Amino acid sequence: MTDTPDATRQTTTRWETVQPWISLACRLGLAAVLITAAVTKFPPALSVQAVEAYDLFPTDIARLIGYTLPLFEIALALLLLLGLATRYSGAVGAILMVVFIAGIISAMARGLSIDCGCFGGGGQVDPEETKYGVSIARDIAFGAMGAFLAIWPRSPFALDRVLGLYR
Amino acid sequence: MGSEARKRSREKLREQREKEKRAAQRKKTLLVVGIAAAVVLLVVGIGYAVLTSGQGDGYEGPLATQTLQEGGSVVMADEGVNAPVVEVYADYQCPACRQFELLNGDLLKERAASGEAIVHYRPVSIFAQQEVPISSNSLRAGAAARAAADHDVFVEYNDLLFENQPTEGREGFSVEELKEWFRQTDADGTAADEFDERLDAEAEVVTRFTEEFLPALTADATEEIGEETLGTMVLTDLLSWGAANGHDPAFLDGTYTGEIIDATGTAYTRYSGDNMFRGTPAVYINGELLDNNAAMTTRGLSEAIASAGEGDVDTEPMGDGGEAE
Repeated sequence: MTDTPDATRQTTTRWETVQPWISLACRLGLAAVLITAAVTKFPPALSVQAVEAYDLFPTDIARLIGYTLPLFEIALALLLLLGLATRYSGAVGAILMVVFIAGIISAMARGLSIDCGCFGGGGQVDPEETKYGVSIARDIAFGAMGAFLAIWPRSPFALDRVLGLYR
Repeated sequence: MGSEARKRSREKLREQREKEKRAAQRKKTLLVVGIAAAVVLLVVGIGYAVLTSGQGDGYEGPLATQTLQEGGSVVMADEGVNAPVVEVYADYQCPACRQFELLNGDLLKERAASGEAIVHYRPVSIFAQQEVPISSNSLRAGAAARAAADHDVFVEYNDLLFENQPTEGREGFSVEELKEWFRQTDADGTAADEFDERLDAEAEVVTRFTEEFLPALTADATEEIGEETLGTMVLTDLLSWGAANGHDPAFLDGTYTGEIIDATGTAYTRYSGDNMFRGTPAVYINGELLDNNAAMTTRGLSEAIASAGEGDVDTEPMGDGGEAE
């Protein structure tokens, strides 16, 4: 990466100045999204209901997901805020979004009319009130933030730097 | 040593150093990822423990006495108990009601058995006006629960209905299933025969109501009074309008299906202001509506019961004979 030809040095330098700040923005943005998603899922009983609406898991598994998914979102947000293992947190965030998108597509394909329960809510809605498209587009945007971090994890105010990673 | 050899050894040394550097970096990355994974496990583990703390292992003990009330609701409390009254409004087809029941059903049984609460189950059918099979599932289950109450096994049957709740929009709560679940309660064979007979009759009423009567009434009402006004009317108002406009609801008289429709209508007018009944599950303590944090968490409900004073049940026990003829 460092031994680039002289001709492109100018642009590379600019990118190298800007990229860490974009990465920081992605960290904060994705963390904010995840925290909002987790908090609005409270209380967990309603989050379990949102999972059950997908009609994909047996009762016990749905319950476990309903309880632990918001906690996992909080934990991931915490890592992003701290800038700890940024590359991997970003990748996991992106994978999480892919899983969410798969869930929404499967609900669509089976003709369910549910709210995705992404930010609280969830469960049955009128067929004309489903917002699968918006939900998927949103998740793609969030996933892109995670992917950006997985590719360019270097950012200021990160524990990774203190620990000697992605300087 | 020739310059060529020196160059080669320098090259080798450099490679060696690079290799060590990469190994050190890998180690560092592994360490950081390990720390991150530990943070995740810690947050999820502690969080899960906190969220589920206070949720018991289920209540298997004896139930407090169940008393059928005028209007078809059921009070679970032993005689002479003075305690806060916990009213639970639920629709058997409502997924959030299922979650409430799975989460806090046992807490209510336990509090009622220990005399710390008077639990008042008030089944409703807020989905009666939705499309088939949501409406028919809701009404058929409500009528079945009411029939189970005739044989003093309402609470057990209530559990079974929520455990077996069909996914919204799917055909479910079939007559055969409803009969089979009744046999899983403590009720005896004679009771089962009576239950079956009642249920068959109710199922017919439900079918007629949801597939013929209501669609025709709704179509007429939409034409005469407009969709907008219709949207603000509760089902009982619509039925009154229908009665005056050539849609005689007499076939509902004396049926449990009709009873649960009436019970739903009165629920909408029973409370005012912030306590207004808007949907299910609705949990009230001494007439005060609980918010989700209180109703849908075990700790919340437990604390709400503990901090409430004694209350009065606002219905009368049904007289002897039980049947709402």
